[in-house]
Amino acid sequence: MDLGEFEADNSVSCRLVSEIPQICRTEDCCLGIDEAGRGPVLGPMVYGICYCPVSKKEELKDLKVADSKTLTEAERENLFQKLDEARSFVGWALQILSPNTISTSMLQRAKYNLNSLSHDAAIGLVQYALDSGVQLKEVFVDTVGPAEKYQEKLSQRFPGLEVTVRPKADSLFPIVSAASICAKVARDHAVKGWNFMEDLGDVDTDYGSGYPNDPKTKAWLLKYLDPVFGYPQFVRFSWSTAQTLLDGKAATVHWDDDEEDGEKAAARQNNKSMLSYFSRAAGGNDQSSTHQTHRFFTERRLHSLDAL
Amino acid sequence: MATKKKHTPNTQNDSWVVIAADSAIDTQKHDSGPAFVKLRNPSTDSASLYMLGSDVQLYEVKAFKEDFHSWFIGQTVQRDGRLLYITPVDPLFLILPYLMKSGKEGKFQRLDQVVMDEEFPACSRLLSCTRSLASLHHIAEEKEVGGQKFHRYSQERTMDWLKKKVERTVTALKKSNVSVGEGVKSATYVRVKQDSDANEEDYLRYAHGLISEYISGDLSKALLGHLQLPELTSPKETEPPSKKRKLSDKPVEAGEDYTKFNSADFARKPPKKMTAAQKTLAKVDKTGMKTMASFFSPKVKTENK
Repeated sequence: MDLGEFEADNSVSCRLVSEIPQICRTEDCCLGIDEAGRGPVLGPMVYGICYCPVSKKEELKDLKVADSKTLTEAERENLFQKLDEARSFVGWALQILSPNTISTSMLQRAKYNLNSLSHDAAIGLVQYALDSGVQLKEVFVDTVGPAEKYQEKLSQRFPGLEVTVRPKADSLFPIVSAASICAKVARDHAVKGWNFMEDLGDVDTDYGSGYPNDPKTKAWLLKYLDPVFGYPQFVRFSWSTAQTLLDGKAATVHWDDDEEDGEKAAARQNNKSMLSYFSRAAGGNDQSSTHQTHRFFTERRLHSLDAL
Repeated sequence: MATKKKHTPNTQNDSWVVIAADSAIDTQKHDSGPAFVKLRNPSTDSASLYMLGSDVQLYEVKAFKEDFHSWFIGQTVQRDGRLLYITPVDPLFLILPYLMKSGKEGKFQRLDQVVMDEEFPACSRLLSCTRSLASLHHIAEEKEVGGQKFHRYSQERTMDWLKKKVERTVTALKKSNVSVGEGVKSATYVRVKQDSDANEEDYLRYAHGLISEYISGDLSKALLGHLQLPELTSPKETEPPSKKRKLSDKPVEAGEDYTKFNSADFARKPPKKMTAAQKTLAKVDKTGMKTMASFFSPKVKTENK
């Protein structure tokens, strides 16, 4: 699998596709969707689709594709090879969501959560297949979140398709297993050959599985924590693992959409305490009204200084 | 994920980000380099920061400051996200309060005896600024006796001078398309296009307000009269007038029993999160707006003296 296109700029989302088998443009096809790398704090999340003519489902079964999680890395490579060899009737497409994309989506002002991100990636890939002329009829999806809601969302988005969303779909439908293998292989490659954009010198690549509970991953996160910038883009900043470490070890950064509550926030916003309305006005009334700066300055956030 | 972040006070900075004219900070040309000085702010009567440029001009220092800003400078981070502007200011504005004070005695006096301040000893340097002495006739009458100059504050001259300042400011405001009209202003939206309904009085008032940033409150009021602008009767700040309680000889008794609220199950609920719409609303600049409560309070009678 050639990930060159993604490695050229691994800060954004990237789509990799196989050539579209001719037969898929003429015959009714089924399509499977699965993802890899949802949980890790490190590396990209990969969305994969695999499609083939409905008539060739049996041949796909003969390839013995199975749920990627039950396979070793070598077995997955092997199976991907087989899928590649079956390119006369099997096609695939991948959406690689870089860790940076995930961080910036989840941490932006209007929060864009991982489920929506996943759903949109899946929808984008199905749309890609349709746009490329694949005669889609059936879609099988391993669920993200509640299966029924997701199925409804997809059915509404693609009224012409028969959508089946199931938990564990990757072990039930061979086409979903195939998609899961494509996604997992791509993720393995991306993580292994991660091209660090940051100037980190010789990077220690012994970061373990990338999952938050892996002690190796945690040790790596601690090692590469910069007090000002935090982490390289390889890390998903939106993960609580990363955030907890940043809160403890890195310099505090305040953003204007930080959620503060209680008295502190009220004080910052110059809200008066309810109690103040019941107390007597302090001192003479007129003296309390201090000099008010002209709006030319207040609108432009300009202040006089009394010291540097 | 309730992380508590502490706003620690800014630590001492050894660098600032400044916008200033080259001539003001040119250390090569002149003997005296640029120096920051604390002087009495004519409007607030308290200390403000000024700069005496190496071109012997007076500059005022203003800071653009908003929450949540920092600088990246070269390979360093500066926590203080301020941007300082060093802009020329007419030294007459700062000399004026001293002249006015001594003018009450009605005598012609030597300037170096007038412009003195124990709190701000640097004020004597105001007199050595370019144009300071040459432009004094705008605010004072001059007399020359035996080669020495004496001055006395003149209200008429000052008013005429300030009026000219206002008129010039109006011209500048028009040129730079500053929105001077009334209306609710939003913190996130500064109008760039000219209000079509902004009239000459709006400009005059706005310019008067700007000039008032450089003169005392009394002078500002006098200037308003000189410009023949009626004083606006704006509603007093936000707070509604407190209700007067009727006095009586009877012992005070609680009208209602509030003690039930003190029980344990009436615990303080945590403040609710504001929705995005509420947050935006909270950011609106409410200056000049009446509070809802003020519409229900009895009208305050304005007495004509």
